[in-house]
Amino acid sequence: MSETSQRQLCAATTQAGAPCKNLARPGSRYCHLHQLQTERAVDDQTAQLRRELGQELDALVSRLRQAFPAYEPPPFTSPGRFEQVRRYVTGLPAGLQRFRPNLNEDLFDPQVWRGLWYLANYTLKYQADFAKRRLTGEFETDPWGLDWEFVQLARPFFEFMYDRYWRIEMSGVEHIPEQGRALLVCNHSGQLPWDGSMLATGIYNLHPRARLARSLYDTWFPTLPFFSTILERGGQVLATVENGTRLLEQEELVAVFPEGIKGVGKLFRDRYRLARFGRGGFIRMALDTQSPIYPVSIVGAEETYISLAKSELIARMINFPFFPISITWPWLGLLGFVPLPTKWYIDIGPALPMDGYSPGASSDLVLVARLTDQVRNTIQEMVNARLAQRKSVFFG
Amino acid sequence: MAEVLQKTILITGVSSWWGERLARLLVTWPGYRVLGLDTELPSAPIPDLQFTQADIRNPLLVELLRAEQVTDVCHLAFHLSERPNEQAFDYNVMGSMKVFGACAAAGVRKILWLSSTAVYGARPRNPAYLSEQHPLDGSRQYGYTRDLVEVEAFCNAFRQQHPEIELTILRCANIIGPRCDTPMTRFLNEPLPPTLLGFDPMLQFIHEDDVVAALAHAVSQPVSGVFNLAAPDHLPLSKALGLAGKLPLPVIHWCAYWGRDLRIGDLFGRLPLGLDYLRYRWVADLERMRSEFDFEPAISAEQALRNFATERQTGQAVPGALLRPYDLGRLSDLVKKGSSRIRQTFTAQNAGEEQDV
Repeated sequence: MSETSQRQLCAATTQAGAPCKNLARPGSRYCHLHQLQTERAVDDQTAQLRRELGQELDALVSRLRQAFPAYEPPPFTSPGRFEQVRRYVTGLPAGLQRFRPNLNEDLFDPQVWRGLWYLANYTLKYQADFAKRRLTGEFETDPWGLDWEFVQLARPFFEFMYDRYWRIEMSGVEHIPEQGRALLVCNHSGQLPWDGSMLATGIYNLHPRARLARSLYDTWFPTLPFFSTILERGGQVLATVENGTRLLEQEELVAVFPEGIKGVGKLFRDRYRLARFGRGGFIRMALDTQSPIYPVSIVGAEETYISLAKSELIARMINFPFFPISITWPWLGLLGFVPLPTKWYIDIGPALPMDGYSPGASSDLVLVARLTDQVRNTIQEMVNARLAQRKSVFFG
Repeated sequence: MAEVLQKTILITGVSSWWGERLARLLVTWPGYRVLGLDTELPSAPIPDLQFTQADIRNPLLVELLRAEQVTDVCHLAFHLSERPNEQAFDYNVMGSMKVFGACAAAGVRKILWLSSTAVYGARPRNPAYLSEQHPLDGSRQYGYTRDLVEVEAFCNAFRQQHPEIELTILRCANIIGPRCDTPMTRFLNEPLPPTLLGFDPMLQFIHEDDVVAALAHAVSQPVSGVFNLAAPDHLPLSKALGLAGKLPLPVIHWCAYWGRDLRIGDLFGRLPLGLDYLRYRWVADLERMRSEFDFEPAISAEQALRNFATERQTGQAVPGALLRPYDLGRLSDLVKKGSSRIRQTFTAQNAGEEQDV
C-alpha cells in the first residue's frame, strides 16, 4: 500500500478526455499503455523538424550553387572537417601548397622530399640573392631617392597599421585626379609622422591609378639615422619650396603638412586646434605651378600619443626640435613609441583651384596670406565636422 | 690653313693630372699656343708645350703673362689636402689670389678654374637640387673644401672688381676614374669604406674624361660663369659602393663625429670625404650645365663606377660567381643537376600524357 501511494499516476489523458488512472512506470511519467505512444510522437516531431531543416539547407545550398558554381558545401563529419582545415591552411608558402594533394600518399616518397628541398633551396637562394643585389648596387632609385623595391617591402607593415591597427576610413579619394599635379594640404598631429605614411598608404591602395603621394618632411628628419633613409627610399622629400615646386612641375602628387613641427608636437589639450600654417610656402608652390589644392583632414591621429608636456631643456640637450613627455614616453623606453590603437578618419575635400590667378600672384603677400587662411579654415571645418560625428576615440 | 683663332693659354699646375691631360689635348688643336707652369716637370715631355718651371706665387708671373701675351689662363694648381694645413692654404688660396691678380694686371681675357660641388656643403636643409646661386657653406673640417670655399669667396669679389674678365668656374661632383687621384677615388680605394649607419645620401659623380672634356669645352667655347658639372644620374651611396665592389663599414654617426673630433685612431682623420658629405644630400642642379654651358657628360655615373671597379680591380666584395641574377634559368640548371632518375620519370610521365592526349 505504501509502495503504490509513492508512485505517481500516469500523466497522459485517455481518449475519453479523462486523466489516466494507471500508475506511471518507474522512471517514467506515463503508464505502460501511454509510454510508447507519447515517445513515438516526440520522435516524430523531431524527425519532422530535421526533415524541414534538411530541406531548407538543401534549398540554400542549391541557391548558393546557382550563384557561385564553384561552391562546395562544407562536410559535417569530423574527418571531413579535418580535411577542410588542412585544405584552407593559408600559412603554407605558395610552393608548399602545390605539393598539398600529394602529401598523403607521397609522404614516404623520397622524390617529394627532394622537391621540397629544391623549393627551400630556391627560396633561400632568392632571399640571399636579394641581399646580394642590394650589396652590389644592382637596384634602381629615382632622382629623389624613391626605391620601389623598398616600397613594396615596407607596404605590408603600413597596410597592417592602416587596416587592422587604426582601421582607417578614407573618403574623397575620387577627388584626386588620375594624373597630373595636385597638392594635398593636411593637418599634422601625433608626435611621430604616422599621418603622412597612412595618407600615402590609403591613396596608394584606394586610388585607381595607385598614385604615390610624396609628403614633404621637416628638415629635422635628415639628421636622424634610418629615418632619413627610410623616408627618402619611400619617396618622401625634404620640405623646401624649391623641392615642392619641382615635384609639382614633374606632375607628382605632393602632400604637405604646413603646421610642421608645431603641429606634430601639439600637446594633448591643444588637439584638433590647427597651428599656424607655416609661412605660406605651400600656397606659393601651388600658385607658381597652378596646382589644385585638396584639403585633407586627419582625425584620430591626435590621440595616438597623449603628450602632456614638452621639455625644452632635454630637447635642446639632444638637439631635437621638441621632446614630448607622454603617459608612456619616456617612462617605458622604446615601448613609448607604440601608438594607441585609435580609430582614424581621413577625409579628402574637393579641389580649391589655383589657376585663376595671374602668373606673378605668388609674390602678392596679401593674396598668399588670404589663401593660406582660407585653406586653414577649410581644413579646420572638416576636422570639426568629423569630430562632431565621432562618438568614440577608439571605435569611431 | 688660316689660323682664325689665335689663343695663348697658360695652364698652371700643368704637371698635375688634370693639367697634363688638358695640355696634351690642347697642343693638338690648331690656333692654340699652350704654355705650362708648375714647380715640377710633367711625368712625360709634352710636345709643343712651352714649359716654365716656377711656383704660381712667383711675383714674376705678371711679366710672363705680359711677355707671352697670354689671353686665357687655366688655373689647375691646387693641392688636395685632407686636414687643414697652413702650407696647403698658402699654396691653394694665396696662390690662386696671386694668379688671379696677375691675370687682372696683365690683361688676361679669360680665367678657368676647377672647383667642386662640395663648396655648397652637405647640410640637412639643402634642397634636393642645389643651384649655382646657393650660398656656399662647405665643411671647414677638411682642408681642400675649406680652401675651395675661400677661393670661391675671393672669386665673387674678383668678378665684381674685374667685370671685363670672363671668369668660368666649373664645380665638379665627385670625380672618379681609373687613373686620377681625387677624394672620392681615395674613399673608394679604402679596404672598407666607412659609412654612417642609417644614412645613405644621394651622390653625384663624373668621370675623369668628362672633366677634361668639359675643361676643353670651357676653353674653346665663349661661355663664362659658374656651372655645376656632373653625370646626369645620381645614386645612393650604398649603390655606389656596391657598384664599385666595396663592402661598407657602417659606423654609428655620433661615434664617427667624436672619433673625428678627438682624432681617435686613423680612420676618420684619414677619411677623404667630410662626414657630413656621407650623411646629407648635396646634389647639384645640372640645368645650367645643359642650357648655358651646353655640355653633356658622355659617361653616366653608374657606368663610371662599374668601369672604376673593373679597371682598378678593387676586390669584389661578393664573389662574381654569386652575382648572377636568380631566375628561371638557374632553377632549371638546379633541376638538371638532380639525379637522372627524376628526369627520366618526368620525361616518361610527359610522354605518357602526350600519348593519352
